Amino acid sequence: MIDRSYKELIKMRRYPTTWCPGCGIGAVMKNVDMVLRELGWNHRNTAVVSGIGCSGRMASYMNFDALHTPHGRALTAAEAIKTVRPELNVVVLSGDGDLASIGGNHLLHTSRRNANITVFCNDNEIYGLTGGQAGPTTPKGTKTLTSVRGELYRPLRLGRILTQEPPYFYARTTVYHLNHFQACIREALRWEGFSFVDIISDCIELNGRRLGFKTAHQMFKWFDERFHVVEGVMDHLKEDELGIAKAETIAEQPSRAMEKEEAKPEPSLETLKPFTPEDLKAFDGADGRPIYVGYKGKVYDVTSSPLFQGENRMRCHLGGKDLTKMMSAAPHGEELILKFPWVGRLA
Amino acid sequence: MKRLVSGNEAMFEGAIRAGATYFAGYPISPTSEILQQAAVYAEDHPEFRFLQAEDEIAAAIAVISASLAGAKAFTATSGPGFSLMQEAIGWGHVVEAPCVFVNAMRVGPSTGMPTQPAQSDLLQINGGTAGDTYPIAFYPNSVAECFRLAVTAFNAAEASVSPVLLLSDAFLSHFYELVDLEGMEVTVAPRTKEPLGKGQRLFTGISHDKMGNTRTSHPEIYGEWLAEMKARHGQVADQYPLYEYLPQKGAKALLIGFGITSRILLSLRDQFSIFRPVRIFPVLEKELREVTASYSKVIVVEGSDGQYASWVERAIGRRVSKVPCLGGGFKLRWIRSQIEERLRGDGP
Repeated sequence: MIDRSYKELIKMRRYPTTWCPGCGIGAVMKNVDMVLRELGWNHRNTAVVSGIGCSGRMASYMNFDALHTPHGRALTAAEAIKTVRPELNVVVLSGDGDLASIGGNHLLHTSRRNANITVFCNDNEIYGLTGGQAGPTTPKGTKTLTSVRGELYRPLRLGRILTQEPPYFYARTTVYHLNHFQACIREALRWEGFSFVDIISDCIELNGRRLGFKTAHQMFKWFDERFHVVEGVMDHLKEDELGIAKAETIAEQPSRAMEKEEAKPEPSLETLKPFTPEDLKAFDGADGRPIYVGYKGKVYDVTSSPLFQGENRMRCHLGGKDLTKMMSAAPHGEELILKFPWVGRLA
Repeated sequence: MKRLVSGNEAMFEGAIRAGATYFAGYPISPTSEILQQAAVYAEDHPEFRFLQAEDEIAAAIAVISASLAGAKAFTATSGPGFSLMQEAIGWGHVVEAPCVFVNAMRVGPSTGMPTQPAQSDLLQINGGTAGDTYPIAFYPNSVAECFRLAVTAFNAAEASVSPVLLLSDAFLSHFYELVDLEGMEVTVAPRTKEPLGKGQRLFTGISHDKMGNTRTSHPEIYGEWLAEMKARHGQVADQYPLYEYLPQKGAKALLIGFGITSRILLSLRDQFSIFRPVRIFPVLEKELREVTASYSKVIVVEGSDGQYASWVERAIGRRVSKVPCLGGGFKLRWIRSQIEERLRGDGP
């Protein structure tokens, strides 16, 4: 028998909800509540926060102390609550327009500060409540009320923005992949720090029908075609992947002062191999040869620098040459070249 | 012990005395010192939480949310930042979050003159957010009063369960005076609102009934709520009918000024009566009517183009003379000449 005790976390007296039949938000709220119930999170240890929009109504249907903030401000409110009351779990349930467009600045900075909150984003790629206007995540070319010939711009890639630098937790799932969806919710709630679950969801009435879908179920099948689940812990997710990308904090890099202390004494100039300009020319990186450059009478091996090769090569970063004169035109100082291994002297 | 303290410092220390445990803000002249002081204070006091927010919108939202979470919270800003906070302030009124907003006014509109004092935010302070609100606002004119009124503002916020405004100007914020803040006696109201995590309440900016159920097409429920809020704010304001009246026998006119202007007007005390409203909003209508009754000539000297003067006219039912000190120009000689010009003229 199905455990329906999660309903204790929902204000059933307020039913029916404001959402259209077939909308994905109901599934988001229900599944989050099921996992909250399973983890023992309730109104005594948890506060929920929502922004504005259809998705923003989730908090008001949940049996918690709930904040329904002005448009886009849910993350800031959640962070402040967690700061003042660290013992409370703080869960944000909102939409892509609220979190990524009007609240985009807060998304950048709340995640940067690694506020210990969990965010569930009902990502339906449309502004539903206001009738179906293009949003920050609407795919390019999609026809909406405000992009009648197809959306002009590329969508915001939340997965890339939120996984720039550890620590991070970003999961992408859909309302159709239920087991995966619940696993993402569970992991996100358990994550210490800022966790974000991007839930691809359907808005059948104000987006789907315009796209030619007749039922919500057809949209679910479309999600199944567009996305596939990847197992295991990933560093990043590709745009068609459902899964969890997470990373803990990297250990602090040792400071420069410490590095200097450990540096070995430099070999004397005379003992090193002499290079004539003609000798040097051979070390230009072509055909897998190493890249050497000259600087102030010395020869450095810069093979490890991506800035001297391929697509990433900077304009004046030419292998096999004496770059002493070019340094004066560089936007950086000589410290960037001095850190490379010293392999010889200019004859 | 007496020490040299600025208006900004006194406001911060007043907030601490009132029991503030949360500050969120964004750098802006002339209140950056309050932000900096909060950051330093938080280093030594783990119970005090500090956030340098990404913008004033976030700062205001954080303050209101922290208040709902159970902290006495405040922020400090100036005109442009205050404009960004307006939406949050409206939310604060609807979700009933007691907190304090400091607005030290500088010359506007827009970036204006960031280091020059003004008193021209009164319109946006009273009605800058959407819909009808009845904010309470206090405006000190000395460093000691900055401290005392900071406590008063927190107390009024607790009583009215709403954001309360503490006003200043670029001059007063950076004004140093010898004061003994530790020796000052103040009464501090305790937090009474139940913090988050105790119930199943909904704090929403949507019009709602007393149970917290959203009601978006019920004029009678909205009307009841607005009437209740208006009455509550009126009752709390009545507890703080703060003003200063300095009558002068044979005065040529009644001068009205507040904040830094009232300090300047003190130099004209031997010839004029002076009225200084301390509670700027709700406007001291009864007090203004009583005091102005015995003067044929009323001159409002202020750092805006007659914003407060309009409220005085509305309160007393007749025209008043205006001396607008604009663009940071608060020179006694100029003010005196303007007042004399108004006295010679046939105007009100």
